[in-house]
Amino acid sequence: MTTATATTTQVYQLFIKATPEQVWDAITKPEFTTRYFYAARIELTDGRRRAYGPDGELWGDSAILEEDPPRRLVHEWQALYDPELAAEETSRVTWEIEPQDDGVTKLTLVHDRLDGAPKTAESVAGGWMYVLSGLKTLLETGEPLAG
Amino acid sequence: MTPDDLVFKALADPTRRFLLDRLFERDGRTLTELESELEMTRFGVMKHLRVLEDAGLVVTRRQGREKLHFLNPVPIRLIHDRWIDKYKERRVSALLDLKTQLEESA
Repeated sequence: MTTATATTTQVYQLFIKATPEQVWDAITKPEFTTRYFYAARIELTDGRRRAYGPDGELWGDSAILEEDPPRRLVHEWQALYDPELAAEETSRVTWEIEPQDDGVTKLTLVHDRLDGAPKTAESVAGGWMYVLSGLKTLLETGEPLAG
Repeated sequence: MTPDDLVFKALADPTRRFLLDRLFERDGRTLTELESELEMTRFGVMKHLRVLEDAGLVVTRRQGREKLHFLNPVPIRLIHDRWIDKYKERRVSALLDLKTQLEESA
């Protein structure tokens, strides 16, 4: 996937057999995020979305732009776990959660405003895929993704 | 049809694979842009895009007055996890077994 031209907007969409509330909890509560999001403890407090690594190191500390549980979460994105990425401009992540029929929820993740963050764009492309398929597996089976 | 069926059906057509490759090169294109790369009517391209959308391989989003088409890589990843990874590992381990056997008998 490294030959693709970095684009300024990335869109990921998937269907999960879970309720919107379950999806919301899974993306906003540390007891869930540690199980699929590179073991990160993600917390939404005081208008900030903070992510901590397993040893308590700060991986991310970004402003929340919109918070409408369990439907919509918009926050800025700046990776602090890598100095090269941390030096790039702040981008934006939007989570849209929409209930479908039969207890299925559609989750759309849009990572945009990546014009000033080409290395971040390249770095997160594979990362979001890993995170989202892990999230789906966790919610549908109760188990983290193997491997 | 199951979600996997829709993905395999969508991928089983050269025009639709061509459209995915164009979006892989540069994401977020309008119908007009995509149409200009194909010897096909606008209606024909729309039909193919609809099949890709139904399979979840293409997601459209409005930006101002424009409707942009984005490649959604998640369904292919899920197919990969389900149908390719598994068999790849078995192949690799079969080759490793062969190597061990050959080296032991040498």
